[in-house]
Amino acid sequence: MNINFWFLKGIFKGIKTEKFPKKAPLDIAPWSTALVGKGNVDCPVEAIKDGKWNFEKCIFCRRCLPEYAPNGDTAIYKVSGNDRTFKKSFHLFPLDSGACGACNVELHNIAAPQYDMTRLGIFFTNTPRHADAIVIMGVWTEGMGKVLERALEAMPGPKLVIAMGACAISGGIIGTGVTDKFNADVVIGGCPPNPYTILSALMKARGE
Amino acid sequence: MLGYYFLMPFAVSILISIFHRKAGYISLAVSSIIFFIFAFTSFTYLSSFIAISSMVWIFASIFSISYGKKYGRWLAPLFSLTVFGMATILVSTTYIQFISGWEVMSMASYAIIGLNRKDSSPPFIFMGFSELSTIFIIAGAAISFSLTGTISIVSTTSMIPMVLFTLGALVKMGMVPFMISEWLPIAHGNAPANASAILSGTMTLMGVYFIVRMMFLSPLNPVFGIILITIGVISVIFASLFAYVSDSPKMLAGFSTVENNGAILAAIGFYMIADTPLLMEFALATIVIFALSHSLSKSLIFAGIGASGMESFHGTESSGDPMLKAGMFMGTASLSGLFPTIGGLGTWMILEMFFMGALEPGFYGIVSIAAGSAMALGEGFAAAAMMKVLKFTSMGKMKDGIDPMEKRTVYYMGVILVALFAASPFFIYSNLIGGIPSVLVFNGFTIQSMYSSTDFGLISPDYVLSILVSFFLVWIIVFGRPKGRIVPTWNNGRESFEPYNSYAYSNNIRLMLRKILRTDTGHMSQRIAMADVFWIFTLRVTGMYKKIAKFFTLGIMNSSIRWYMVYMIVAFVFVLLFAKYMG
Amino acid sequence: MRYYKEGKPKGRFIGSTERYDIYPGIYRKKEERQEPEPHRKTEQEFVFSYGPASGMLESSEIDFYTPGEIINHVDVDYDVRMRKIGITGLTPADALLRIERINGFHAASHAICFLSAVEDAMGVSPPDNVLKNRILQIESERIRSNLLVVERMAQAAGFGVPVNQLSLLREKVSRIIGKHSGHRYFYGSNSLGGTVFEISSLAEEIGEVSDEFRDIFRSLLVSKLFINRLQNNGINMESDSIGPAARASGIMHDARMDSPDLPYGELDFKPVIKEESDAFGRFMVRSMEIGQSSDLIKKVKISNDELSENQVGSVNGKGMARIESPAGDIFYGIELKDGIISAIDHIFPSVKNLENFRKSMRGNIFTDFHFNWESYGIWISELGVVLE
Repeated sequence: MNINFWFLKGIFKGIKTEKFPKKAPLDIAPWSTALVGKGNVDCPVEAIKDGKWNFEKCIFCRRCLPEYAPNGDTAIYKVSGNDRTFKKSFHLFPLDSGACGACNVELHNIAAPQYDMTRLGIFFTNTPRHADAIVIMGVWTEGMGKVLERALEAMPGPKLVIAMGACAISGGIIGTGVTDKFNADVVIGGCPPNPYTILSALMKARGE
Repeated sequence: MLGYYFLMPFAVSILISIFHRKAGYISLAVSSIIFFIFAFTSFTYLSSFIAISSMVWIFASIFSISYGKKYGRWLAPLFSLTVFGMATILVSTTYIQFISGWEVMSMASYAIIGLNRKDSSPPFIFMGFSELSTIFIIAGAAISFSLTGTISIVSTTSMIPMVLFTLGALVKMGMVPFMISEWLPIAHGNAPANASAILSGTMTLMGVYFIVRMMFLSPLNPVFGIILITIGVISVIFASLFAYVSDSPKMLAGFSTVENNGAILAAIGFYMIADTPLLMEFALATIVIFALSHSLSKSLIFAGIGASGMESFHGTESSGDPMLKAGMFMGTASLSGLFPTIGGLGTWMILEMFFMGALEPGFYGIVSIAAGSAMALGEGFAAAAMMKVLKFTSMGKMKDGIDPMEKRTVYYMGVILVALFAASPFFIYSNLIGGIPSVLVFNGFTIQSMYSSTDFGLISPDYVLSILVSFFLVWIIVFGRPKGRIVPTWNNGRESFEPYNSYAYSNNIRLMLRKILRTDTGHMSQRIAMADVFWIFTLRVTGMYKKIAKFFTLGIMNSSIRWYMVYMIVAFVFVLLFAKYMG
Repeated sequence: MRYYKEGKPKGRFIGSTERYDIYPGIYRKKEERQEPEPHRKTEQEFVFSYGPASGMLESSEIDFYTPGEIINHVDVDYDVRMRKIGITGLTPADALLRIERINGFHAASHAICFLSAVEDAMGVSPPDNVLKNRILQIESERIRSNLLVVERMAQAAGFGVPVNQLSLLREKVSRIIGKHSGHRYFYGSNSLGGTVFEISSLAEEIGEVSDEFRDIFRSLLVSKLFINRLQNNGINMESDSIGPAARASGIMHDARMDSPDLPYGELDFKPVIKEESDAFGRFMVRSMEIGQSSDLIKKVKISNDELSENQVGSVNGKGMARIESPAGDIFYGIELKDGIISAIDHIFPSVKNLENFRKSMRGNIFTDFHFNWESYGIWISELGVVLE
């Protein structure tokens, strides 16, 4: 019989969603977490200066090994503006300004069953008209800069601007960051940021 | 005979219009008003056609006062002459008067289309079909004469004259099999908008009028009724389909005329198969209401298209003016069969009629339900086609240069469509009027479709209208005017975008029905052209006709306009004298 | 250069860089080709614009020339997000950081191909273990890439359960890669003559994913509604197709067969070939290559040591390399001058795939678009980039 009971298949697979953020994240790739160490190293993006590590610039290239090493802490983000209005429903409008594709996929990943953003009330939308926040990925490019302006104009208030990944924040190793031209309320570090980092930052952005 | 004196003002207005265009149109409007009043001197069923036609002429001539200046000096007299021919038909008491009126109307409109032609085939096609209809009508008159011994239009014992007249009228109405799809739309679409309005609005009505008139004078045969229903329904479906895929607004409106005439014809057919007086009465009311809505709304649409200056869909441009928009909205709503317009009532009645017929036992029941369903399908397409007209002619950005007189005419015609809807319980047969006092719908406010003394369905136009108005008012009072921030359209982040064009609007149907419409998608669909099976045949016939016509033109007349005009005037004088003598 | 020499063209045409036409093992000066005639917009057509910010994974301005319903022509414009990445004047190690970020989702393929070209230019050859380890990376990446393609195709159909099950698997692969290489996208996992990709239990973990996928794949194959959307959608008949798009049209184009930069020969590799040539064919090839890659990973037998070796090579030279990325051939050509990159040539698979995609869109309707687009696995990040 060629009938598919997809619904039953889904049920028999069982629950794959993790308990994050109530429980600690599982299975983190080390080079997407905070770096700790001492001393000065030759950092190609000057993320390590005077013995201090700056997540906004770091592209996790491992040049600073063995002086610096990841410590497994996924909380590498900064929230300077939040809005509790979005507590129950938070619609994100992803905007690829000039990304390599890794950030795009990682953002897409927070919808994967392991993370399941919808259980936390986070959703994607295809139009800024329905968006609460715009998530910018990738370096600033001239064409997309204009698109970003139009998108911000089209968004209803209150709204948040989220810059995701080293490229968007500081330009990484590729170019200029988007935050140079637009003020971001939330910056999420990483190259690309870990899905756990994205989720925590998004929850923080709505005042949790 | 009394009616004949009411023709005189029309004759005067022709003479005036030869010398002064504006005065001519004004006098034509006045003549039409007089003619309208005449309709009420002896109110019979048939005089409602006089009322309908003269209403259209009043508006069309007022519209022409400003619109007519875009065309040459001959348009006004020819326009008046066409109206004169039609008025002759409406008051004719003998076949001679009728045929004369028919010919004057055809000739004059031929000249209008000929003067305005862009290529030579539309007037030829129009003339060819006109002459075909005249042949049928003369044959019908001859047979009637041989049966009754008089040229007066009196009752006969044979069906044959009625059948022949019907065939003649069908040609004029553009029905299957006399070129369902193209001749009428092309001819009507190639005339100036004011002429298109009277061609589509009233010339086809003449066909309806004469079929109905003959129907009252002849024995009725249900088989003929079923044939008419079949022709009507096929015309409705195909014409609405062609209207939907048409890419010229005036052609589209022409197809819509065929569609509406199909519906009226089906109602006439239903009258012939109906076996209870109640049903027959309902069918007659349906014919008049539908004809009323068709004639008025169609002339509104043509006037609106003319006023908007969108005589062809220019891809995506569209002109907008609040008054024009409102008028066109009501006109297209009426032709889409939507409340609160008289067209909504007409569509409701025609569907109701067929669904009542479905209760009849046996074959007639099956015919009725099939016809009703097909009619509903056609009306659906028609609504989509009308949306297209509305969207691509009048929903655009504000545009200057729309004549205030023209747009006002369009607007008031729209208002009249709504007003007629509201007033309909007061002029429909009292047998069909009722009320449900228990729910505060007082007697005299509902129109009921009755099937063997029980209500089948009912509608109360005034209550529909008042609910709509009060809902709107409540909304405004409760929520106030909508507030908001105006931002540019979001178009995927692009600065500008190309709006949907009229061709694309209906291309889905063009592709889906490519077998019927013979859509040519070309190699890898570079170009999409359309020609249907019927049209290919007509073009061939036209080619032959053109050859013969060319021979006559070169042999007998040179192609100077003046000779045509002389011919027209001679014909006109001849008709006047002859008809008077015969009368 | 070990494998490439200048000469007359022989074999299949792989693509053109800024300066050269590339054939298997052969390069020659680029010949001017006639640009295809631009599409002339007909009277009935209008341009339906989609993107750049339309909810697709990446930004690109897509213009559909349509007279309604049927699509006559498609233009994909990615200038709007054009990135300029400076490569010349850098050392290979610094350039590598940027090469990895051309297309992060296929970072291993890009990095490995680039490194192979650099090694070719330096005249060094990394130990066999390193080369085999690179195969493991590329095949793992291929599995994840193919999972994304299948997932996105199911997503276009709004097919909820398989979409979620596939993204579950894809995330599993990302975690496997993250665990074994330290980074979920292989950033920093490769270096000249060396790799950081720990391989113990890799084959088992990937094998589990592949087994789980096989169940989903079988169920998808009997989902008529889904298959109907793919069949006869986007028929690709171009003889110079690459990657899965070629193999789905019965064309045996695979750099794993005809490029010696990585030792696939030892693994008894045979490409998956399908004859359908439509989106369904590409779906089949992508799906079946998941199992195939898993088998390849099982076949690779290496130990964990000797994974890096600092070889000293010449600082001047020219090198070329080509490998099979998940979407088709990637080619890099490098010129070194005193240890600094003085020129770079490249062929990215998305260029050819985009060209074929556009051809295959003719006559389609918009609802077919997402299926067809996803089936090619095109990455705008590979297109909207200029290497300087």
